[in-house]
Amino acid sequence: MTGTLRFGTPQILFGLAVAILVVFVAVPVLLIFFNALWVDGAFNLADTIKVLSEPETYRALINSLILASGVTVTGTIVGTFFAWLVTRTDLPYKGAMKVLFLVPFMLPSFIGALAWKMLLSPRSGYINRFFMETLGFPDAIFNIYSYHGIILVETMYLFPFVFIQVCGALERMDPTLEESARISGADLFTITRKITIPLVMPSILSGALLIMLYSMAHFGTVAMLGIEAGIYNIPTLIYERIHQSAGSFASIRTATVLSTVLVFTAALIIWAQNKILSGGRYQIIAGKSFRPTEIRLRGLRTPLLLFCIAYIGFTIVLPTVTIFLVGGLNTYGLPISPENMTFDNYYHILFEWDLTRDAIWNSIGLGFASALITMFAGVIISYVIVKMKVRGKGILEFLGMLPFSVPGSVIALGVILAWSGKYGVNIYNTIWIILVAYIARYMAFALKANSAALEQVHNSLVEAARASGATMWQALRDIVIPLVRPGMVAAFFLIFLPALRELTVSVLLYGPTTRTIGVAIYTLNEDGETVYAAAMSGVALIIIVTAEVVVKRFFKVKQ
Amino acid sequence: MEMRRLLLAALVAVGVQTLPAQAQEKLYVYTSMKESLIGQLKTAFVAKHPEVKMDYQSAGAGKLMAKIAAERESGSLLADILWTSEVPDFYQLKDQGVLETYVPKEIGALVNPLPDYDGAFTAVRLGTLGIAYNTRLIKEAPKTWADVQKPAYKGAYGIANPALSGTAYMSVSALVKQFGWSYIEALRANGAKMGKGSGQVVDDTASGDLLGSLAVDYITLDKVDKGATLALVYPPETLVIPSPIAIMKGSKNLEAAKKFVDFVLSKEGQTIIAKEGTLPVRTDVEVPDRYPMPPVADAMKRAIKIDYRQMMAEKEATIKKFTDIMQK
Repeated sequence: MTGTLRFGTPQILFGLAVAILVVFVAVPVLLIFFNALWVDGAFNLADTIKVLSEPETYRALINSLILASGVTVTGTIVGTFFAWLVTRTDLPYKGAMKVLFLVPFMLPSFIGALAWKMLLSPRSGYINRFFMETLGFPDAIFNIYSYHGIILVETMYLFPFVFIQVCGALERMDPTLEESARISGADLFTITRKITIPLVMPSILSGALLIMLYSMAHFGTVAMLGIEAGIYNIPTLIYERIHQSAGSFASIRTATVLSTVLVFTAALIIWAQNKILSGGRYQIIAGKSFRPTEIRLRGLRTPLLLFCIAYIGFTIVLPTVTIFLVGGLNTYGLPISPENMTFDNYYHILFEWDLTRDAIWNSIGLGFASALITMFAGVIISYVIVKMKVRGKGILEFLGMLPFSVPGSVIALGVILAWSGKYGVNIYNTIWIILVAYIARYMAFALKANSAALEQVHNSLVEAARASGATMWQALRDIVIPLVRPGMVAAFFLIFLPALRELTVSVLLYGPTTRTIGVAIYTLNEDGETVYAAAMSGVALIIIVTAEVVVKRFFKVKQ
Repeated sequence: MEMRRLLLAALVAVGVQTLPAQAQEKLYVYTSMKESLIGQLKTAFVAKHPEVKMDYQSAGAGKLMAKIAAERESGSLLADILWTSEVPDFYQLKDQGVLETYVPKEIGALVNPLPDYDGAFTAVRLGTLGIAYNTRLIKEAPKTWADVQKPAYKGAYGIANPALSGTAYMSVSALVKQFGWSYIEALRANGAKMGKGSGQVVDDTASGDLLGSLAVDYITLDKVDKGATLALVYPPETLVIPSPIAIMKGSKNLEAAKKFVDFVLSKEGQTIIAKEGTLPVRTDVEVPDRYPMPPVADAMKRAIKIDYRQMMAEKEATIKKFTDIMQK
């Protein structure tokens, strides 16, 4: 019996790993490519090009490019500047500042977009009204429903990608390099230009590419602020086609072609990023040595501190306060003053309204379920990839990391193609289809966290167990799983937290009772229920921030 | 381990929450009615029929039709009831044979605005549309449909997207029939905008993003009740749009669906509808006096006459032409 088991276990594990990845990840993505490139069972590239050259699709592609480039440039500048400020200068309170600059990371950007709509929509935005009504400006000072508006809002939420990377690089950089340049007589400008910037360039670029990757595939902000002004990017056009055209062949096809373009762009970005990171020319910053010298800001200390505080106040505090205040208004458009305020909206969405209550429980339930399933599946697959010597595991690795380069709208579309009855299983309109999509979307997170943990478990431990007569299962259960538990916990929360604020995937998949928090906020806003959308956003912010804080405090998860 | 216990407890909590209550019959209503109306009806309906677990999807008529088409395509129809204001859709669905025929119990008490009535669908309310304007920013109330072409509304008059909103589509067709495409062109020349849904244009008018909009009665009046600086006026040629309700053929919850149809047409259901600020289809239910709308008979007499079958044939072309003009 032990003979067959010893021979069987790796095969079972391998089979299971392949099955999970194929069913959840490979099939949906392949169906997209198939639908995009094959017409009536025949390969037809000409037709694909025809779809791409239609003005609307072509426009959406260009818009995605314009927006992503804009956000990348501004986000990189903002992120690099603040990173430099909190690591290499004597700015006061820079530890606190560093934490605060990371706050936008945990806030959903579509809630930010909603807040900025309330602040900067041309006639009714509170800031614009202040300028026009109180200061007598003839026109609005800023129209949020524009390319500039979208880039502004996305920048606020995406710049931490660069900020984190550059902070890390600047902190790890060997200060003796700068020191020796200084001793040799180079001035600050020359040192910055010739030494500091070349050293941190890979980090800047890699952060910039992450911003680009996210912005390219970003749904929420563009949907909230762009559609109004006729600005569509790829994900919003996919959404519109799927929602307004009754699943007709033509619309599915356009969506699959757009998805294919998105996947290839994303793959290109990830490839470029890997190339930069593995360039190896800048090994000098590896390892931590001394504290880098700080530049004295002198007279600029206070102004720059005030600038940072103003930035945080303007981009984090102001939108959050706006959300909570508007959520308490009797109806949208009234001035914010005590006689117009009420707790009824909050009461209604928390205790009376099925739509919002369902949404909250759906998001929490989906978060738990997808995190739990993906965590366990992630352990199995990572184990096969890291520890087992099975032929073909390269394919597993590729499949597992595929969702990294497959944006949310593409996964959702693939899941619709695969799971709405054409191939035997029909879970369209149910909560399960969202769960399946979440599993596919977050698999890569679980693999990363689990692989890292598994690599630290030495093979000799399992071998010792096996030598002492334990079966493969026993060795896994008693040795490996306890050792990788921190990795599994990390994976769980790396999935649970983003799933809680997810919009891009669920907005394409929701049915009458399967709205998520993101979908509820999005559809309320779309239906002109602005105060309820704001109140729901307030509740969502409380849930999300509480979850983040609890996780960070009690489980010390490193992101 | 502490964390494991915590997770388990949380999972159990989630599981308990999502378990269906000891149900019973289910019912899925797809409607373009907004929360203020359908929410109240649901509360009253489940209070009367506790054995039914009702859920609804509230979205624009265009989205709902797309959703139903996608469900039919996938072979599993979730919707039991469709209730929107896009009348031609119902004639089309009837022609395709996908509507269940059901003549409501109290048919005798109802006004029927729909020709060729056979029980495939029954009007539940007579929606009226007028001009909503922001009283904070506009001091002189508009009186005719042409008033919103004046400079006072430059760049700030909105009509919902007829591809998304049934009432917007019906209104645009009726206004074009009455005044010709030149009416729409003149609006556009004054900078009129095409918004998203029928709720959103009213919300934008309340906030001041728009100064005026082509607005649905109860959506506007709900916001007026909550203190919005809005007013609704009815030009001489009224837009009266029936909102039919229909049971989908193949509904898995046929009995519950019939109960719901009977309920919304009962005196109780119609009273809720009238109270929310839209015209009922029962003669024994009155609209509260504080609302500006004309009485049913008057509104019907002044209404722009609509040929639903012809409208159905012209639907795509009308939407396309409207969109082309508004996006020029």
